[in-house]
Amino acid sequence: MPEAPPSPIMLAPPRARRQGLPPLVLFAVGWLGLMLGVALLANVVSPYAYTALDLRNRLSPPIGFGGTTAHWLGTDELGRDVLSRLIHSIRMSLLIAFGATLIGAVVGTTLGLLAAQFRGLVEQAVLALVDFSASLPFLILALAVLAFFGNSLTLFVCLLGLHAWERYARIARGLAISAGAQGYAAAVRQLGASAWRVQLRHVLPNIASTLIVSMTLAFPEIILLESGLSFLGLGVQPPATSLGSMVGYGREYLSRAPWILLSPAAVIVLTTLSVSALGDWLRDRLDPSLD
Amino acid sequence: MLRFLASRLLRALLTIGMVVTFAFVVLRLSGDPAQIIMGSEAPPEAVAAFRASWGLDQPLWVQYLRYFLAILEGDLGRSMRDGRPALDLVVERIPATLALTLPALLIKLGLGIPAGVTAALHRNSAIDRAVMLLAVAGFTMPSFVLGLLLVLVFAVQLGWLPSGGQEGWRHAILPVVTLGIGGAAALARFTRSAMLEVLGQPYIRTASAKGVPWRAVVSRHALPNAAIPTVTIIGFMVGSLIAGAVVVESVFSWPGVGRLLVVAVANRDLAVVQAILLLVAATMVTANVLVDLLYGALDPRLRAAPKGVR
Repeated sequence: MPEAPPSPIMLAPPRARRQGLPPLVLFAVGWLGLMLGVALLANVVSPYAYTALDLRNRLSPPIGFGGTTAHWLGTDELGRDVLSRLIHSIRMSLLIAFGATLIGAVVGTTLGLLAAQFRGLVEQAVLALVDFSASLPFLILALAVLAFFGNSLTLFVCLLGLHAWERYARIARGLAISAGAQGYAAAVRQLGASAWRVQLRHVLPNIASTLIVSMTLAFPEIILLESGLSFLGLGVQPPATSLGSMVGYGREYLSRAPWILLSPAAVIVLTTLSVSALGDWLRDRLDPSLD
Repeated sequence: MLRFLASRLLRALLTIGMVVTFAFVVLRLSGDPAQIIMGSEAPPEAVAAFRASWGLDQPLWVQYLRYFLAILEGDLGRSMRDGRPALDLVVERIPATLALTLPALLIKLGLGIPAGVTAALHRNSAIDRAVMLLAVAGFTMPSFVLGLLLVLVFAVQLGWLPSGGQEGWRHAILPVVTLGIGGAAALARFTRSAMLEVLGQPYIRTASAKGVPWRAVVSRHALPNAAIPTVTIIGFMVGSLIAGAVVVESVFSWPGVGRLLVVAVANRDLAVVQAILLLVAATMVTANVLVDLLYGALDPRLRAAPKGVR
């Protein structure tokens, strides 16, 4: 990796193997495909409505542990089908993570480009904000904001969107400053392009691959944050359900009905693992300069 | 060096000022604390008296100025629940939290750094793959999932350890392990990539080429240079000693600062939340300043050109 020439054109690192995908990456792609399919078709594939009660089959264990085919993954304390709740939780968690990742990328990149474009006071202000976010663990910040502004879903997504914005801002600013000093940016500027045209049409496409890799790093972190906050009861609120809130409610039945929390927990771990594996692989391919 | 120190300290103070402002703005503008504490049924005179006694009837900027001045005098206000000074409430919880986070930090350092270094030195070997697989697994598993799994196995199934509470050192084992494993995994990943970066540098090749034994190349040339980026993440871990266990404390009902924060947030106990925010930010900023100073000690190049730090 260190031998790679410092060129803006992305070169494949020398150690990249050409023969097919590693098994972990294959698994990751398969799993994420499955999750996306489940999220998109949630209403079609879930056997019951996720709020439907089956009071005669409360705390029924999953199939293979004494359960019946009526509830493949068992039921919870109100007789709600765990599989159906899991499917809707996957949809909710993925929706939140996608939304928040996009918000973070757009906000961070915009601020970074602004800082690179105007330098001076704007840049100092952006850097001060970056310092500020680095000074508080995001979970603490999110806890304070959430509990005090209440729990609307929109606010929750926007709040999670602020996670990692400073990373995009820092990367975008650094790359845009160095890109601005290069021939192509100067050339379009000489042709009379406006500053924004230079930034958005010429600089941004050239730094996009690095930003996309950062998004694959932020995505699993946001899933973990969302599930952590929902676990604490401060994220997604009932009757809506997410992977974290399922684990949070299942915790009460840990000794009697561990299946309620084990299936969402497994989905969280497998999903974050898959996105991380895919992100690592992409990073090795696209941009060896990131750590 | 002195100028560098001064500018660094100035920035640290500015950051803390921003945290105070942020806390104030978010907490005060989000609703009327008097209504929430007293309930909507309370008689208006009682609410008014409450507002007057907490200074909530003043204009916002007066409240803000008062708050800022009070903080300069070390007064972080009183808990609106039991009227005790907020700072005392928080400080008396710190030992309980440190009883978890300090041993966990030792696990992180003692497990994560050797694992990362070993993996990097045996790159692409079976050891490397095993370490990385474990590291990624530990890194992607949320602490509450890991904690609950440990409870399920060691408390519910085997009955060896208590599942929660704080009566003795046995109660601390599961939370400490939960905290330690996740951090060790992150540190191992980070140390490995820092080591790999350094091992690919020309000066390592030069050192081996001129006949320095590999052992000495690693200990004299590679490790000190790989320590530089690793120190950053360790600094972050030290900075979050006080508030790094919010979720884990909730899982194990451990009465530390994290539990206090969750409860205070749920009760809208403004003073306590502000005190914790401020304390956490101060710890974090101090850790960051120390990291910057440590950079200078580790890397002579940065001493000559302090502007490059960051």
